[in-house]
Amino acid sequence: MAELDLSKKVADRYLKREVLGEGTYGVVYKAIDTQTGQTVAIKKIRLGKQKEGVNFTALREIKLLKELKDPNIIELIDAFPHKGNLHLVFEFMETDLEAVIRDRNIVLSPGDIKSYLQMTLKGLAICHKKWVLHRDMKPNNLLIGSNGQLKLADFGLARVFGSPDRRFTHQVFARWYRAPELLFGTKQYGPGVDVWAAACIFAELLLRRPFLQGSSDIDQLGKIFAAFGTPSASQWPDMIFLPDYVEYQHVPAPPLRSLFPMASDDALDLLSKMFTYDPKARISVQQALEHRYFSSAPLLTDPVKLPRPAPKKESKVSDVISNEGPTVLSPPRKSRRVMPGRDGSEGNSLQGDKFDDSVVSVRQAAGDNTGKNEPAPMSLDFSLFGLKPPNRPMITSADRSHLKRKLDLEF
Amino acid sequence: MADFQTSTHRAKWIFSPQQLVEKYRAANQRAKQILEKCGATLMEVDVDGSLSYPEPQMTAKDSAEKHSRTKPLTIEEEQCIKVFYENKLQEVCNNFRFPHKIQATALIYFKRFYLQWSVMEHQPKHIMLTCIYAACKIEENHVSAEELGKGISQDHQMILNNEMIVYQSLEFDLIVYAPYRSVEGFINDMEEFFNAGDNQLEMLKTLQETARFEVDKMMLTDAPLLFPPGQLALAALRNSNAFHRVIDFDSYLRGIFSRENSMHTMSELSESLDAIDSWVIVSHSNVCPLTEQMCNSKSTFCIGWEPWVTSVLHGPLCGLDFVCRLENTKVLLRRN
Repeated sequence: MAELDLSKKVADRYLKREVLGEGTYGVVYKAIDTQTGQTVAIKKIRLGKQKEGVNFTALREIKLLKELKDPNIIELIDAFPHKGNLHLVFEFMETDLEAVIRDRNIVLSPGDIKSYLQMTLKGLAICHKKWVLHRDMKPNNLLIGSNGQLKLADFGLARVFGSPDRRFTHQVFARWYRAPELLFGTKQYGPGVDVWAAACIFAELLLRRPFLQGSSDIDQLGKIFAAFGTPSASQWPDMIFLPDYVEYQHVPAPPLRSLFPMASDDALDLLSKMFTYDPKARISVQQALEHRYFSSAPLLTDPVKLPRPAPKKESKVSDVISNEGPTVLSPPRKSRRVMPGRDGSEGNSLQGDKFDDSVVSVRQAAGDNTGKNEPAPMSLDFSLFGLKPPNRPMITSADRSHLKRKLDLEF
Repeated sequence: MADFQTSTHRAKWIFSPQQLVEKYRAANQRAKQILEKCGATLMEVDVDGSLSYPEPQMTAKDSAEKHSRTKPLTIEEEQCIKVFYENKLQEVCNNFRFPHKIQATALIYFKRFYLQWSVMEHQPKHIMLTCIYAACKIEENHVSAEELGKGISQDHQMILNNEMIVYQSLEFDLIVYAPYRSVEGFINDMEEFFNAGDNQLEMLKTLQETARFEVDKMMLTDAPLLFPPGQLALAALRNSNAFHRVIDFDSYLRGIFSRENSMHTMSELSESLDAIDSWVIVSHSNVCPLTEQMCNSKSTFCIGWEPWVTSVLHGPLCGLDFVCRLENTKVLLRRN
C-alpha cells in the first residue's frame, strides 16, 4: 500500500526534545517547530484503544482552544495524528503559578500579586465572554511564558454554558478550589464557580500556600465556613434547596483581615466580593477587573519584571561562578529585593494609617461580629504547628471515577 | 460558544462560489487520476487517521477491463450523491430525535469534509454516520458509536475508523454556527422592536416555525458554505414573512441598521439575502433525476443495489464498490 505522507510531513516539522511531564491522558514533551523556530510543547494522546474513539477530553480542549485566542489563554498551534497518537501542539510555557507560589526564594510584592491576578482574570474574562466555563482553575493550570505573561491552560474540563436548562456535573475543579454551590451538589451553575476558584488563587498568592485545604467535600465546606462564617439564609437564600445541602453548626465570620493581615483594604474588599456565598451576588470577572484594587497604588508590575523560578540554565551559570572564587555578585534581577523589610515597613505604615477605617468596614462586613479575637481558623492549623501542608490534590480517584461515569451522561 | 465574529467558521470556512467550484474540481480531478492509475478509488482508513491508496492493478488486461466498467463520476454527479446523503443525514438525526444543533453541525461537517475529498475516495454513507457521531460528541450530547450503529444496522467500528480523518479534514475546527439559533435571536429582537402584543407573539411564533423549515432547506445546499448564519437566518425569515405577512420586513431591516452602526449598507444586505434565495432555489430546482430517483425509490428499484433497508431508514443506500453500482443505475435509468 502506498502510505499517504501527510501526517509524516506534519510530524517531521516538529523536532522532539526532552519530556516535560505526564499529563492526565498522555506524555507532554518539548519540541522545536522547524518552520518557525518556535519552541513548543506537544501533548501525545493515545488513539485506537478507546471504546468511544478519539479521546473526549482532548476533543474538548481542541474545540475550545481553536476558538479562544487571547494573550492570556494558551495557544493551540496545531493538531495532528501520527503513529497511533493524536498530537496537540501548544506554545511552550516556562513555568506555572504554583511553582512561583511555592518558591521560597521569590518574594512577591503587592504589585506582583496584582499583576498575576489581573492576567488570571483577563484570561477568564475572555472565556466567560465567549460562554466558556474553565472549571479547573488552579495555580498549576496558570502557565507563565518567557515574557512573564500568564495564560490559562488545560481546557479538558471546560465547556460551553448559557443554553437554558442544561445540567452539568458538579464534579469539577480540584477540591480546594471548588465553590460551595458545587460542594452542595448543584448541577445548574455559571461563571461564579470560576470566580470562586480565582479568589482561592488570589488568597494563595497572598498567603503563599493553598488557602482552604479540605480533605473531603464535607471538610472543604467546613473550612470554608470556618473562614467566612456559616452562611445565613439572608446571605444565600437558595442554599437550602441545593441537592446535597447539609446544615452546619453556626460559626460567626472572623474578620477577613485576621486571615490576610498583610493585604491592603482594596485587596480585602475584592477578595470578599469574589468569596461571596450567593453565586448570584458574587462579583463577575469583568466587574472584578474594574475594581479599584487594580487602579490604586501600588502599580501593577510589568509582566516582564515579575519574579520567576530560576531556570536550570541560570543555576548552572551560578554554579560556575561560585566555583571561580569567593565573591559572587547578585544577579541584576534580584537587586530590587535587597531591602524587603523596608517594603514591608511601608506596607505596614499604609495599613496603620487606615486602621480605624478597616476595623469599621470589617465590623460592617461581619454583621453582628463584636470584633473580639477569635480562635485561629482551621485553615491555619498547619502553619501554627509548623507542619508541611499536604500535597495539593488533583481530582481524587473517587472524583475521577465519578467523572468517568459522568462523561457519558452529563458533560 | 456564541461569538461568530471571532470564530474559525467566519475566518476560514465561508467561500466564494468560485472557490467552491475550484475545490470540488480539485477533489474530483485527484480521484479521477487515482482511478486511472489504480482502477479503484476508495481509500482504507485506520483509527488514527492514516490513509492508504488502493493497490495498483497488477496487469494491463485487468486494468483495461476494469476501466471499461468503472467510469469516474462527474462533479455534477458527486453533487447529487452528496445531496442524497445529506437528506439521509437529516432522516437519521430526526429518527434519533437529535436536537437541530447536532443535525446542523453534522451537515456542516459533511459539507466541509467533501470540500477536501471526492465521494469516490471515502464512502459518503460512512462519512455521514461518522459526522453524526462526531457532532454528538462535540455538542456534548454523547451517543456511543455502538448505539448509533445499532440504530441503523451498521457496524459501529466503521464510525470509529473514520472519526480521525473527519476531524483532520475539518482542520480540527469543531465549533460551527447554524442559522437556527440566529432565527430565534431575530424573533426575540422582533418582539422587542415591534413591541409585540399577544396576538402578534403568536404570529411571530408561526413565522419562526416556517423560517425553521426554510433553514432545513438551506442546509441541503451549499449556502452554509457561502454565507454567514445570520444572513441565512434573515433570508429564511424574509421568505417566511413573504408567506405569512406578519411584519413589515423592510422596516425591520432599516431598524437594524439604524441601531447597529453597521459598516455595511442595507442594500448590501438585501443583495446577500437575494443571493441566498437564488442559491437555494437554483440548488433545489437542479436536483438531478438520479437523486430524485434514489430518494423516491421503491423496493423494485433495489435490483443491483446492496440492500440496506431498516426500520430507521426508508429506501436503499449504496453498498460497496460505489462506482460500479452507479453504472448499473445508469443502465436501469436508460431502460426506463
